[in-house]
Amino acid sequence: MSSRTKHFFQALASPVGRKVLTGLTGLGLVLFVIVHMLGNLTYLQGGDAYNLYAHKLASYGVLLYILEVGLAAFFALHACIGISIYLRKRRARGGHYARYKTAGKPSLQTFASRTMIVSGIVLLVFLVLHLIHFKFGPGMAEGYVATIEGEQIRDLRRLMTEQFRSPLYAFGYPAVIILLGFHLRHGFWSALQSLSLTSPRLSSILYPAGALLGIVVGAGFIIVPLWIYFSQFS
Amino acid sequence: MAEQMTIHLRIWRQAGPDAPGRLVDYTVAGANEHMSFLELLDVLNEQLVHRGEEPVAFDSDCREGICGSCGVLVGGIAHGPQRRTAVCQLHMRSFKDGDRIVVEPFRARAFPLVKDLVVDRSAFDRIISAGGFISTTTGGAPDANALPVSKDAADEAMDYATCIGCGACVAACPNASASLFTAAKISHLALLPQGSVEASRRVVAMVRQMSEEGFGDCSNHTECEAVCPKGISIACIARMRREYVKAVLC
Amino acid sequence: MATPAQSTLHAKVPAGRLQDKWDAYRDTVGLVSPANKRKHSILVIGTGLAGGSAAATLAGLGYQVTCFCIQDSARRAHSIAAQGGINAAKNYPNDGDTIWRLFYDTIKGGDYRSREANVYRLAQVSGNIIDQAVAQGVPFAREYGGLLANRSFGGAQVSRTFYARGQTGQQLLLGAYQALSHQIATGNVSMLPRREMLDLVVVNGHARGVITRNLVTGALERHLGDAVLLCTGGYGNAYYLSTNAQNSNVTAAWRCYKRGAYFANPCFTQIHPTCIPVSGGYQSKLTLMSESLRNDGRVWVPRDPEDRRAPAQIPEPDRDYYLERRYPSFGNLVPRDVASRAAKKECDAGRGVGTTRLAVYLDFADAVGRLGEQTVRERYGNLFEMYQRITGENPYKEPMRIYPAVHYTMGGLWVDYELQSSLRGLFVLGEANFSDHGANRLGASALMQGLADGYFVIPYTLGAYLSGARLDSSITTDHDAFVSAEREARERLHTLLSAQGDKTVTQYHRELGQLLWNHVGMSRNREGLEAAAAQIRALRQEFWERVRVPGDNDTYNKNLEFAGRVADFMELGELMARDALEREESCGGHFREEHQTAEGEALRNDQDYAHVTAWQYAGSETAPVQHQEPLVFETVQPTSRSYK
Repeated sequence: MSSRTKHFFQALASPVGRKVLTGLTGLGLVLFVIVHMLGNLTYLQGGDAYNLYAHKLASYGVLLYILEVGLAAFFALHACIGISIYLRKRRARGGHYARYKTAGKPSLQTFASRTMIVSGIVLLVFLVLHLIHFKFGPGMAEGYVATIEGEQIRDLRRLMTEQFRSPLYAFGYPAVIILLGFHLRHGFWSALQSLSLTSPRLSSILYPAGALLGIVVGAGFIIVPLWIYFSQFS
Repeated sequence: MAEQMTIHLRIWRQAGPDAPGRLVDYTVAGANEHMSFLELLDVLNEQLVHRGEEPVAFDSDCREGICGSCGVLVGGIAHGPQRRTAVCQLHMRSFKDGDRIVVEPFRARAFPLVKDLVVDRSAFDRIISAGGFISTTTGGAPDANALPVSKDAADEAMDYATCIGCGACVAACPNASASLFTAAKISHLALLPQGSVEASRRVVAMVRQMSEEGFGDCSNHTECEAVCPKGISIACIARMRREYVKAVLC
Repeated sequence: MATPAQSTLHAKVPAGRLQDKWDAYRDTVGLVSPANKRKHSILVIGTGLAGGSAAATLAGLGYQVTCFCIQDSARRAHSIAAQGGINAAKNYPNDGDTIWRLFYDTIKGGDYRSREANVYRLAQVSGNIIDQAVAQGVPFAREYGGLLANRSFGGAQVSRTFYARGQTGQQLLLGAYQALSHQIATGNVSMLPRREMLDLVVVNGHARGVITRNLVTGALERHLGDAVLLCTGGYGNAYYLSTNAQNSNVTAAWRCYKRGAYFANPCFTQIHPTCIPVSGGYQSKLTLMSESLRNDGRVWVPRDPEDRRAPAQIPEPDRDYYLERRYPSFGNLVPRDVASRAAKKECDAGRGVGTTRLAVYLDFADAVGRLGEQTVRERYGNLFEMYQRITGENPYKEPMRIYPAVHYTMGGLWVDYELQSSLRGLFVLGEANFSDHGANRLGASALMQGLADGYFVIPYTLGAYLSGARLDSSITTDHDAFVSAEREARERLHTLLSAQGDKTVTQYHRELGQLLWNHVGMSRNREGLEAAAAQIRALRQEFWERVRVPGDNDTYNKNLEFAGRVADFMELGELMARDALEREESCGGHFREEHQTAEGEALRNDQDYAHVTAWQYAGSETAPVQHQEPLVFETVQPTSRSYK
C-alpha cells in the first residue's frame, strides 16, 4: 500500500473519518427507508399495486443486485462504526457519575441521542429477521404466485398480509419502527453535522426537520401493518 | 445583609488515583447569595481543618472564570446550573436554602483523578503541542497590519479562541469526547490567514493526538456547548471536520 | 531626609543617547553560537507572559529550556486574567503617537520613579510585540477594513491600546503558550507543571539551580541550569484580598531575596480603581472590571452624603462626577493611583454608595444613550456579564458599584538594564522585577512589559551573560549547595506540618491582609506603618507556633502550599512597611499622608527620593541592608504630575 493510501485509510479510521462515514452511510440509509416506506404505502392502493412495485424492483436485475450489495455495505459499515463508537465511549468515560443531567439548551442530548446504540442494535437484529421473512422468505416455489397481465410473479402482497395478521408481527413491527423514528430523530441532523453541512442557523431548521422525518417515516411504516391487522376483523 | 442559607453537600472524596472513592455528606450553614460556589467549599474546608479533618481538594486559581483551573460537576452538570459560567463564578443565588448538591470530579479516562475533585488534564496540553499553534520564531513577524483580516473572520476566530481549557466539554459529553476543545483551537487558527498556511498538517495531527489520548468520539449531543463557560459553538466541530476532509482529500 | 544607603547600585545602562542605547547594546553584546546554545540549560520559573514568551523564544533559539509552572497547565498563568489591552506605539490611528510619547506617558505615569533607559526600550519594542502576537494568531479586534483596532486607556491622550474583547491577556498568553507548546513538541522545552519553586541554589555567586516541590507527590526535586529566569509575577496576594489568582505568591522571589537578590521598592503597589466591592468575610478574591470601562463609563457619587435614593432617582444636579470635576483634561481616564485615591476620598467623606458605603458608581447610562446598547455590548459585553454574575445586578440598567482593590505590584526583585538581579545568573522578568513602572503602572502596560522582557530583551541579555560567564561545568545536583537547599526546604515543610496549632493558614492570611490594607494600602502614615511592622512581626512569630496545617507532605496538599506562601508574605509585609516608612514622600501608588499638596494630591520629593530603594536580606532577626540606585533623568524633566 502506498503511504498516501495508508494515510487515507488512517484518516477514515480517525474520529473525524468515522463520523463522516457514519453520516454518509446514515444519509444513504435515510434515503433507502424513505423509498422503502413509499413502496410499502402502495399496499394501501389495493389490488396489484404492491406486487407490481415489487416486481418492477426485481426486474432491475443486475442493477438491483448492485444496489443491494451497496445497501448491505452501507448497513454493515454504519453498524460496525456505530458499535465501535459506543465501545470507545465506554472506555473513554472511565467511572460513572453518581448524578448526571443535561444542562438543557442548547444541548441536543435527548432520549433519542442517548439510545442510538440501542435503537441501532434492535434495528440490526430486526433487519436480519426482516430479510429472512420477506426477502428470503417463501416465494413462487412455495405457492406465493400472483398473475399480472398474464405473467406469473411472486405474491408478496399475500405474504405480507398473512404475516401482519398475526398480532406479534402487527405490533412488534411498529415497536421497532418507533425506535427507527427515534434513531432518525437524532441521526438525520447528526449526519448533517458530521458532514459539516449545517451551521448554527441551519440547525435551527434541520434539527426539528429530523424530528419531523422520524415521525413521518415512522407513521408511513406503521400504518400498513396496523391497517392489515385491523382490517381482518372488519 | 443577605439571607443565610444552609446547604447540604455530597462530595466525592478520594485520597489518590488508586484509592477507593466515595461520596461524603457535609452540611454548611451560613452560606449567602453573594458567595461563589468555591467560596462555599472554602468555608467548608476551614471547618474541616478546625475539626482536624482533611479539607476537600479542588483546583482553582483566578476565580474570575478565565484561567480554566476549576471545574467540577455541581448537581450533575459541569460547572453547575448557570449557563456560560465557570464554577468559580457560580454564585449561591443559583441555589436555595436547604438544597442538596452532589459535587463530583470531571470523569474521563483521559483525565485521571489526582485527589478528591482534582483531575489531570494534561492531555489537553498534548493536543495543543501536537499542532495547536502557528509555527513562528520570535522576531521574524511582518508588520501587524501587513495582512488584513476581515472583521467577521477575526470575530469568529476570537469566539473559538476564548476557550479556557477547563475540560467541562469532556466531562459533560456522554462520550467523553474532546472534540469541542480540539475543534475550537483548530477553527480559531484556520480562520486566520496566518494560521491557514499549516492548517492541513495541524488538523490531522491534533485529531490524531485527541484520539490517542483516549477521548471518545463525538456523537453530536451538543452537551459540550451547553456547559462551556464560554459558550463555544459546536459549529467549530463542523469546521474541524471540514478542515480534516479537506486535508485528507486535497 | 533619606537614610544613607550602604551602597549605590549600578544598573549597567549603556552610554549614549537614550534613543540609541538599546541599539548600541545589541551592536556590541556578546553572542552565543548556535552550536553552543544547545549546551546551555536554562531554568524558567513561571509560564505567564514573561516566562512563557521567554521559554518559547529561548527554546526557539536552541537553548535547552526547563520550564516550571505552579498550575496544572502552562496555559493558566495569571497573565490570562488581564482584560483591557496592550499598549504599543504603532500610531495606526495617526493620532500623534510616537515611541517617545509612549515612553514619556509611561515614565510620567510611573511618577518619575522608573529607569529611563528601560522604559524607552520598552516603548521601542512595543510595536514588535503586536507584530509577533498577530503572527501567532492572536485575534485582536479589527475594523471592517481588516486592519487592527485601537482604544484609549488611562493616562494617555492617544489611542494606542490593542485589545481582544475584554480578554487581551488571555489571548496574548495563549499565543505565548502555543509558541511554548510548539517548542515542547520539538523537544527543546521540558515542561514541568504543578511545581512550586521552594529555593534558589547559588554556587560560587552564580544562580545555578532551583529546588522545586512536585505539588502532587510532594517530592522535592533538584534542577541544575546555567541561568535561572524568575518569571513568577507579583505579590499582591500579601493583602489577602486582591485581584490576583489564588496561587499568585511571592515565595520564589522571596527565596531569591533570601539567597542574596535585592528586593526593590516593595512598597510600590497598585490599587486598581475599578473593582467589584467586597461583599463579605468569606470573600476569597476581588474581581477587576477593566479600566477600559472608564472610556465610556462615568464615575460619580451623590453630592449629599445623606442621599439614599436609588441611583436612577438622583437627578444630574445632585450628582458629583468628581473625576471630571477635579481633572477636566483627563476626566474619567486619569491614571489608576489618582482614580483610586479620589474614590477613597469620596468614601471617607461619607459619600460612598451601596450597603457597605465603600463604593462609587460607574455609570453607563450616557454611553448607552449615545452609542446604543448594542455598541456598548460589543465593547464590554463580557465584563457586564461578569459583573451581573457576581452581583446579580444588570449594569445596562443601573450603574456599576466599584471600589479600588490591590491589583499589581510595581516593586519586585531589583534588576539592572539586562534584567539581571544582584545575583549573577538570576534574571527576573515581568511583574516579578521592579523595573519599568516606577511608582505606578499605566493600564495596558503590564502585558507590554511581560512580553517585551520575554520576547525581545532576554534573548540578548541572557546571551551576553552566558558568553561572558565562566561557569563551572563540573557542578551536579549532588553539590553541597543543592543538598543543603533541599534539606532546608524539607525542614521548613516539616515545621509547618508539625506545629498543629489552632489557627488556619487562611486566618493568618486574612489578618496579615487586613494589616497591610489598613496601613500599607492606599494611604499611609508613619504611625500606621510603624504599628503595622510591629504587628506583622508579632503575627509572624505566632504563626509558627499556632498554625494548623492538615494532611501530609506526600500528597496534593493546598494548605501546606499556602502555609509556606503566607509565611513568606508575612516577612515581605514587614519589608513593605519598612520601605513605605523609609520613603518620606508621596509618589504614584505610594501616598504618605504627611506629604501632600493643599489640594490633597501626592507631593513628590525629587531632592531626596529620586532613587530606587533595594533591600538586601541580612537574617531573619536583623534589619535588611538598604542600597540605592539613583534615578538619573537625562532626557525628561520630572515635573509635578498633573492630569487636571
